[in-house]
Amino acid sequence: MNISKELRGAELTVSLAGRLDTTSAPALEHDLKAIDAAVTSLILDFAAVDYVSSAGLRVILAAQKQMGSRHGAMVLRGVPDAVMEVFEMTGFTDILTFV
Amino acid sequence: MRKTFQKWLFVFIASAFALTFAFSFLIQTRQARDNALTLIRLKIADARRQLTTMEDNLRRVTELTSTMALGKARALARLVELSPAMLSSPDDLESTRLLLDVDELHVSDARGILIASIPRAYEGYDMAGAAQSAAFLPALTDPAFALVQDPQPKGIDHQLFQYAGVARRDAPGIVQIGYHPRRLLEAAKLADIRGIAAGFRIGNHGSIMICRGHEVLSYSWSEFGLSELMAAGLNRPALLRKSSFDVTVGGIDYLGVAQEHHGYRIIGILPKNEMYISRNAVIGVLVVVNVLLFIVVFVLVSILVQRIVIDGIYEVNSSLELITRGDLEVKVDVENSNEFKALSEGINSTVAALKNAIRETAARIDAELKFAQAIQVSGLPDPSPDFPDHPQFSLGAVMHTAREVGGDFYDYQVIDADHVCFLVADVSGKGIPAALFMMTSKTLLHNLAASGLSAAEVFTVGNRQICENNEAGMFVTAWMGILELSSGRLECVNAGHNPPLLKRRQGGYDYLRIRPGLVLGGMNNVNYRSHQIVLTPGDRLVLYTDGVTEAQNSAGQLWGEESLVQALQAITPENAPFSQILAGIKAAIDAFADGAQQADDITMLTLEYHGAAAEAAAEVVLAATVENVQALQEFVGARLAGLNASVKVQNQVQVAAEEIFVNIARYAYAAGAGEATVAFWPEPGPPARVVLQFRDRGVPYNPLARPEPDVTLPAEERPVGGLGIYLVKKSMDAVDYQYLDGQNVLTVSKNL
Repeated sequence: MNISKELRGAELTVSLAGRLDTTSAPALEHDLKAIDAAVTSLILDFAAVDYVSSAGLRVILAAQKQMGSRHGAMVLRGVPDAVMEVFEMTGFTDILTFV
Repeated sequence: MRKTFQKWLFVFIASAFALTFAFSFLIQTRQARDNALTLIRLKIADARRQLTTMEDNLRRVTELTSTMALGKARALARLVELSPAMLSSPDDLESTRLLLDVDELHVSDARGILIASIPRAYEGYDMAGAAQSAAFLPALTDPAFALVQDPQPKGIDHQLFQYAGVARRDAPGIVQIGYHPRRLLEAAKLADIRGIAAGFRIGNHGSIMICRGHEVLSYSWSEFGLSELMAAGLNRPALLRKSSFDVTVGGIDYLGVAQEHHGYRIIGILPKNEMYISRNAVIGVLVVVNVLLFIVVFVLVSILVQRIVIDGIYEVNSSLELITRGDLEVKVDVENSNEFKALSEGINSTVAALKNAIRETAARIDAELKFAQAIQVSGLPDPSPDFPDHPQFSLGAVMHTAREVGGDFYDYQVIDADHVCFLVADVSGKGIPAALFMMTSKTLLHNLAASGLSAAEVFTVGNRQICENNEAGMFVTAWMGILELSSGRLECVNAGHNPPLLKRRQGGYDYLRIRPGLVLGGMNNVNYRSHQIVLTPGDRLVLYTDGVTEAQNSAGQLWGEESLVQALQAITPENAPFSQILAGIKAAIDAFADGAQQADDITMLTLEYHGAAAEAAAEVVLAATVENVQALQEFVGARLAGLNASVKVQNQVQVAAEEIFVNIARYAYAAGAGEATVAFWPEPGPPARVVLQFRDRGVPYNPLARPEPDVTLPAEERPVGGLGIYLVKKSMDAVDYQYLDGQNVLTVSKNL
């Protein structure tokens, strides 16, 4: 999968493309953990994500907890229906913010 | 053996007893005879002493009497000399007679004529007139003549009388006195040997007899009269010639001794029964003691031998019997003597050597049988084959031999693009012969089927050829089908084999009972007839041998056709893929047998018809590592791409595949050292669906049994992970886990 990052002040936009699965999740996890402490707003762009597996969910949950701990905000943008279904199935829609 | 021993023991002891008895009897008899002879001789000696005493007494009395008589005769001669006148005076003579105390007085003249006599009647008697009186005549010429005659019967009245005479002193002539010899007679009476015998007894009924010449002088039997003794010859002088003799008197046997004594014969006899009394008593005691001794010795020796020898032998024998019956674990342990110890050890070491030899032989045979099995199994086609060019059907087979080599076999082959042939068969008998027969039969039928003959023709021709070379009289039951893939038409033929099970797509399993023909190899010139049925997509056939339905548990119960149907009904496409059907049946059989040894070969073959348009199942084997997720996704993606599936469905199947695979990669094997097989196949339905199956040989683990995560917790409290299988369960239409044949089998399906 492709990961691209764009930092504007305290707002970081991470755009994902492809499958967020067992293979690709570690890379995303690595990138998200490396986010500067100054970032208070994280935007994950899912528009180009084909699907998310549990490995991806794990990374997203970890990111949500990370942002929550620094009183920041994390939103998911442009989540496709197929991926949204996974979030719904797993109750992630309750804890994530979608725009 | 005990009987024989006792018989011989009896013979020996009885012989010894008889010998002892005989010797004792002989010795005792001789002893008794010697004792009896001694007794008789002692009695005879006593009698002799008494006889001697009596003779002495008589001689003395005689001498005394003679002296007195001679004195009186001389006194008379003196009186006549002094007073010759008295001869003519009878009164003087009478008074003289009284004075002399005699009975008779006689005086003769010079011629020997009695001139004076008392009694007077004798006067004028010529002394020469009788021999007795003539004995005195020498006195006429010899003045010193004197004679005392022995007492003898008088010529006149035969009274015993004694005369004594001397020569006359005054003139030639004879002076004679005569008297009754009373004292002498008394003395003689005392000496009368007739009375001696009466005083003697030998034992109770033996006695003494005194003879002179043939005359019996004295005897003392009250039982017998003289005539009987004479008749027995006891008075014969010839008896003297023997030291002892045997004689029978009045029917009673006697032992006798005869001895000579001063012209007499003293004979002593003793009844033999008396002389044997002591012997018989001794022998009687001896017999009783011997018999008791015999019994004691017999019993003691019997018991002793029984203890020491026979018991040991029996014990050894019973052990040997067990060994003969095949129990080589038996140890002979008879140690009551060194000999038995040696024997036991000998037997034990022999058995041990035998066991060793058997073990070695068995091991060699085992090895050879295993080799034979390998050859046999290598002759069978792949039990789980892939037919990439023929997606119209799936086929699986299995053979579990009861021994190293068996008589069952299965076979299948694709004859041409549109026909597949399959069969299951069971050769009569077991072991190497059955295995050889099986190889021949299989090759024959395989080649005939390959030549394009119909099923009926294959059996008809095959049977003929099997019969040709069947000296052993073996036969084979078989069920064969030839399926036409394009139409589903199945031509099947049965040669005495168990009916297979047919499952229609919509419905349960039923036995497909077609009319069976004779077993192959049973009889030449049998024409087999085939039957036609048509399979529709999803229909399934299960062929088997009687080892399946006749599987036994330890109680000897048979599994049965009904159990087979039930076991098959329980195996659904949802809980087991096609490839696991046969493993499922075997598992059911094993559960039934519950450890009981498999008695017969178990062979099964199953075929499912997918229809003319069916597509093949695809399968890939991947090393179970997370790195292979991509390869898995490519495999699944490629299969899905050919199907008319929505993107959403495709993504869901992809996610499910990834989650399951990652799960296996992470947890199934210890150190990433395993494989996972992933199968993918579409099912036409309805509803049409795709099936994904994962098989791994890792630790048995059912991920579906894991508790579901709580998806309502706030983000901060949620655990990271644990969602994968939950996702699978949520997104798939059916999920199933089985542990079959050492494999975790997870099957999921998604409706299209």
